[in-house]
Amino acid sequence: MMHIPSLKYKTKKQPIAELKEASVYRIPLQSYRSTLLPLVKIGDQILQYQVLAEDVEHQFAAKIHSPVSGKVIAIDEHYISLENDFQQQKITTEIIEFQQLDLERFVQVLKDFGIAGIGGAEFPTNIKYKVEGSEIKSLLINGIECEPYLTSDYAVMRHETEKLLKTIAVLNQIFQPEEIVIGIEKQHKELKKHFEKSFKNYPNLAIRIHLLTNEYPQGGELQFIKSVTHKEIPKGSIPANFGYLVSNVGTILAIYEALFNGIPTTERVITISGNAVNSIGNYRVKIGTPIRHILEELNIDAEDVDIVLGGPMMGKEVADLDSPIKKGSGGLLLFKKQQKSIENCIECGYCVDVCPQHLMPMQFVKGHQEDQNLLSQFNLDHCIECGACEYICPSNLPLMQSIVLGKVELQKMRYAK
Amino acid sequence: MQNSRFSPFVSSKNSISKVMLDVIIALLSLCAFAFYTYRIWFLIVLGSALGGAILTEILFSGIFLKKWKGILDGSAIITVLLLVFTTSPLTPWYVAAFGGSCAVLFGKILWGGVGKNKFNPALVGREFMTVFFPLVMSSGDIWSTKRIRYVYEVEWFNFIPNAHWAEFLNELFFVPTGALGEYSAVCLLLGGIYLIFRRRISWHIPVFLLVSFLSFLWIFEDQNLNYSLGGILLGAIFMATDMPSSPSSPTGKSYYGLMIGLVAGLCIQFGAGFEYMSYSILILNGFSTKINQVFMPRTWGTKIDWPKKTEEVFLLTLSILTVTFAVLSLHYYGYIPYLIYVYIIYIIFKFNFSFSKKLHQPI
Ligand code: SF4
Ligand code: SF4
Repeated sequence: MMHIPSLKYKTKKQPIAELKEASVYRIPLQSYRSTLLPLVKIGDQILQYQVLAEDVEHQFAAKIHSPVSGKVIAIDEHYISLENDFQQQKITTEIIEFQQLDLERFVQVLKDFGIAGIGGAEFPTNIKYKVEGSEIKSLLINGIECEPYLTSDYAVMRHETEKLLKTIAVLNQIFQPEEIVIGIEKQHKELKKHFEKSFKNYPNLAIRIHLLTNEYPQGGELQFIKSVTHKEIPKGSIPANFGYLVSNVGTILAIYEALFNGIPTTERVITISGNAVNSIGNYRVKIGTPIRHILEELNIDAEDVDIVLGGPMMGKEVADLDSPIKKGSGGLLLFKKQQKSIENCIECGYCVDVCPQHLMPMQFVKGHQEDQNLLSQFNLDHCIECGACEYICPSNLPLMQSIVLGKVELQKMRYAK
Repeated sequence: MQNSRFSPFVSSKNSISKVMLDVIIALLSLCAFAFYTYRIWFLIVLGSALGGAILTEILFSGIFLKKWKGILDGSAIITVLLLVFTTSPLTPWYVAAFGGSCAVLFGKILWGGVGKNKFNPALVGREFMTVFFPLVMSSGDIWSTKRIRYVYEVEWFNFIPNAHWAEFLNELFFVPTGALGEYSAVCLLLGGIYLIFRRRISWHIPVFLLVSFLSFLWIFEDQNLNYSLGGILLGAIFMATDMPSSPSSPTGKSYYGLMIGLVAGLCIQFGAGFEYMSYSILILNGFSTKINQVFMPRTWGTKIDWPKKTEEVFLLTLSILTVTFAVLSLHYYGYIPYLIYVYIIYIIFKFNFSFSKKLHQPI
């Protein structure tokens, strides 16, 4: 692990601002390892918060809902396009009696209200919380946003403290953990006092704040669990089996909206920042808002810049300005284009030093290039694609390219066998 | 796929030249001491080696392979400095130029450029000098440098009342004997600390190397063992830590350091003369890839299969010792030149049929 200049000061002090509604929304159908099936047809009139698509096949991923009322104007394999009628006609949602919520009902609520891990991968929260049989020792609230630039989680912790704690109290009642820990980076230690002031209102909660170092990638689930509990959990295993339940603060806020206001996940807080923009800050944005709309609203000139959805370390480049904000997008970043010249690997071992999974990343470049056996020999499967290795590499080796494509090759090799 | 570029979108400000620059900075004080002691003699050796190296770079990397980019990255300068630091100030200029040129050509370019070499280029250059100019290099004359010395000793600490301490400190800072880089133990150490501080080397290799070498000497207490503190420090801090030819994981580095110390001790014990550091480092260079495999870091969340690991380490150690004794026998019978001839043929073949096709691959 290593230290990266976080550049969060740029947006940290900003309140959560609102953005004007767009006239068209594009609702993403891609979900965690599955594609949702549309429940509506072109031309349908729809209400705000109505279910648009669900995972019919696996009954696995969270549903997705309409952020506005209006009409369905197009459906393709990736998106449902909606035309906003600006009437805000809401569907009536049921009121949840969260005082008597049991686990089974709670998990159903999570799924029905479209709640997914907000930290990037959009892992369905209902699956994560399905913990029948395993005793939950600790409920861990992940407030570590280790990606540079991003401050959306910070903004949520700062400005929505009450909502977070109310939700945590409900989770406490359902899971009955021995303790609840909120993890925060040292660079945000002012939040500790801020939280502790509110803790007084919840005398029944065994809750505490845990300050963690500012290293990258501390916020990854496995790294987070290790930093707080000293327990090293192998990649691919389910934390609940070890007694840990980890949720991101953004996800907790989404659960709040569902439980207390009956509102499904249709919006989230994102950070707009980067070295190529001035009008930056934290914004509450509806899921499905086209990136073009955001740029226009904020008068951002997107000529000749790299646009990134997510964080600078693990985010994805935006090729199409009409593509939308998704549940897992924590930021919209604009960077000046930069040319990286690739030099020879000098075997400096920096990539080995920083890899949180203790791998030898340079071997994957060699593996992808010529000897695929190296990929499995050096445990490529265990890579969490955090990008730390490529960040530190003095020769700018295409490590992530080799890793991503290498994983595909590995899959193919396994199928062939 | 929609994404045309892969994450991450930010990167550290590291670059090869920055790494190289730090190493050069660490070597500067040694240059100063070499100049202080031998002035023009040092400049002649350094100048001709540098000239040979740069000419070779321009001729082969530039004109022949059309890879101009890497010539100025500073790696050739480091190679030459390290090479010069292992030679006598009386080395004839043409031998130095030959050494510099061979170090760059057979130590780096033919492997496919910076970073791809399996052996430390400076030491490769040095072996070429020894093999192709045996009369010059192994004559006793070359080390009788007294008559050309400008400075014989320093008296910087004579203000200290205790004469023993004063002498000890003086010698720690300056001893004018041996090769050009060995005169100041303190500067060698400071250079090492600077590199560790700047994270250009990690402490594992030098520390384990020194520990194992010194314990070897301590166990086989033998007054006739002939070694120089400066030489050992130069090897431990600057030669053995050459990035491409040493392993990359912390445990691998520790083992590598330990084994160099041990092999160096054996080399002294069994009469390898002045070559003990070169031999031990070059032998371990050859095992670096294997060490990387055996001492791969323990992947997050996995367990180490100890019996298997122990067996692997045992076999690895066994093969290193076998190679050591083979080299020592060759040395004893004077067959080392043939080893170098084989190396030349091997590397030219490899270059022709494999490395030259991968010049533009980064690894
Ligand atoms: S950081 Fe880059 S140059 Fe260094 S060993 Fe890793 S891949 Fe090679
Ligand atoms: S190899 Fe994977 S886990 Fe390790 S630093 Fe690189 S991206 Fe992160």
